[in-house]
Amino acid sequence: MVEPIFDYQFRLILIGDSTVGKSSLLKYFTDGKFAELSDPTVGVDFFARLIEVKDGTRVKLQLWDTAGQERFRSITKSYYRNSVGALLVYDICNRASFEHIPLWMAEAKRHIEPHRPVFALVGCKLDLVSNGGHREVSKEEAKVFADQNGLYHVETSARKGTNVEEAFRSVTQEVYNRIQTGEYKVEDGWDGIKTGFTRPNGMDFNLIEAEPAKSTCC
Amino acid sequence: METSDSECFESADEEFYPESNNKKPQKQESIASVVEQIEELKVVATTTTVEEQPTKEIKNKTVKTNKLGVKVNKVSPPTETKEIPETINKNEETIPEQSKDEINLWDDDDDWEPVEQETKSIPTNLGWSSWGNWDVTSLLNTASAGVTTITNHVSHGLTSVLESGIGAPDPEELARINSSEKPKFEDGNHSEPINLSFGLSNFVSGVTHITKLVETTGNKVVKGGLDTLETIGKKTMEVLQEGDPGFKKKRAFLKINSNKPVLSHILREAKEKAEVENKLLEERQFARKANYESLFDDHQGLVHLEALEMLSKQCDIKLQSLLESLTGDDLIELQETMNQIEELCELVDDDDELEDTSQMKEKLDGAVSEMHINISYEKLLNTWSEAEDWLRNINLAICSEVELHEQAIDTLAQLTALAVERFHKIGELLLVKEHRSTADEADSLVQLTVTVTTLISHVATKLADKFNEKLTTSTYKDEINKLITNIYFESANSISYIKNAFQLLIPVLQVGAI
Repeated sequence: MVEPIFDYQFRLILIGDSTVGKSSLLKYFTDGKFAELSDPTVGVDFFARLIEVKDGTRVKLQLWDTAGQERFRSITKSYYRNSVGALLVYDICNRASFEHIPLWMAEAKRHIEPHRPVFALVGCKLDLVSNGGHREVSKEEAKVFADQNGLYHVETSARKGTNVEEAFRSVTQEVYNRIQTGEYKVEDGWDGIKTGFTRPNGMDFNLIEAEPAKSTCC
Repeated sequence: METSDSECFESADEEFYPESNNKKPQKQESIASVVEQIEELKVVATTTTVEEQPTKEIKNKTVKTNKLGVKVNKVSPPTETKEIPETINKNEETIPEQSKDEINLWDDDDDWEPVEQETKSIPTNLGWSSWGNWDVTSLLNTASAGVTTITNHVSHGLTSVLESGIGAPDPEELARINSSEKPKFEDGNHSEPINLSFGLSNFVSGVTHITKLVETTGNKVVKGGLDTLETIGKKTMEVLQEGDPGFKKKRAFLKINSNKPVLSHILREAKEKAEVENKLLEERQFARKANYESLFDDHQGLVHLEALEMLSKQCDIKLQSLLESLTGDDLIELQETMNQIEELCELVDDDDELEDTSQMKEKLDGAVSEMHINISYEKLLNTWSEAEDWLRNINLAICSEVELHEQAIDTLAQLTALAVERFHKIGELLLVKEHRSTADEADSLVQLTVTVTTLISHVATKLADKFNEKLTTSTYKDEINKLITNIYFESANSISYIKNAFQLLIPVLQVGAI
């Protein structure tokens, strides 16, 4: 396994009602696969993927896949704090899951404070709509909500892979942009953004040198 | 201010005297004579307009100086000359970090005053604006113009220092050249200007022609001139820097872009980069990729540990706020409960080696069942049996130490990550469990911890055994012993991660008891 070299690590959290498709979305994004059946998430699970933002900076996304089930609600809220981005996930064919979005957003804001994460509104199971399923949330309606709250909105399908990449990419780019403008900073004691292993192109020799040295000690 | 100035100075120094550091030792002897020469030339320089007399003076005085210089080396020198070399020595050595007191020293030195006055006028006389364009043509200029005025020599001396990096010449040779060449230098005066002006007008752009011209001008003239002039140039640069460390003002005046990459820096960077890469390569021979921490992270061990910490902290906060709200007997009772749970969770160190997998599986299954949560250790057991299979089938003749080590560390990291992940999941499941049975849970967790850490030790021993087998045939005994030590070290790490994860579960148990 070659250790991926990255410039930043962003921690993103996925929240939303149970069975809207958070884990499937992540599985497709990190694995390129869609699982027909999957167990409900217990507490929180983790995924990771490396992507490049527009200027070529490499970002490792550490993705926290929270359980949507009500019984884990008290646990999952303790995981919010160190996130720099939050994907609010709903099921296009499940009206209730969309109506709960404001609650999820408020919950996330409350627990991530004093930090202000990048939010995105992600509709799942787009493939069901084109496959004769019943759409319960119109794209316009979701867009209106997104615009009102300053969110990026996208409708996805983990089965088909539609817009999955875009959903994560846009959040990552926005986080990165906010780093560029100085709104976000790498801070001690906050793991939302971390700097990674720098490529050996400049002055960071110490960092690179220190890495292999660790494994040879004793 | 001072720091930045001196830093600037350093870089400027490196830029202008790329070789000065290397040359220093040889130069020491010559310093006395060189200094004298400079002194003479300085004096000469002050009378710039005179064309022929100065050269004669140089000739005479250099010879004299040389003698003095030799004297300095052998016999106890006259006080006058002794003093000067010392100052110069000091200056030479401290050039890279010239500081405020150094500058003062310069200011206080009366001997240098004339030079200072002189150098102030140099920039205006010499067409400094063409600084950036110095190249081979400057040699040509040296040949032609150099013969006419000493002031020009100073400038070209500078150029040679700047551009060609001609080092300081051997002291004796310098003295000899100075004494013997100077007359010719002067003689050449009569014919050369004609050639040169011709050459200048016709062949300025062609490098070959320039070379030719330089040849015709006479190598000796140029060489003798340049050597001396270089010295003057260096000195002049020093003086120029006086009161303007790093040439800040002068650079600004000359519009030299200080942000432009400097070759020496680029080279140093390249060198350092190569060194780092070589070092990395070397280390990778035996420790490539086998970084426990990053492998542990790759297997999501680190993030599970972190999430478990968050969970634990959340429980702790809950407990603390509860303790604060209680008083009297209630408080004492709760504290006792907390302590009892902690006692239940004390790990006894016993080094019972487990014999086989079946017993391991039973132990784990048994321990889990008491907690009444839906969790399985199947994945950890599978990973372990895969590792066992690999160890059984490994062909040590083919598998290198490096590969073996890589695989060994990866196995340890993966098992540990899985163990931590299980503890994290157990914590989550216990927290959402409806009917808690804290004592059973504690007992289960202790059993799990002991079993899993024993498993890690067992695996580490097996891995080390493979290295020991390898040791008998390999020539890299030292390296292999290092790798064995590393395996044990990382297995100890693994065990402490697992025990740490277990400790983090104690508040989870305690919350269940209230």
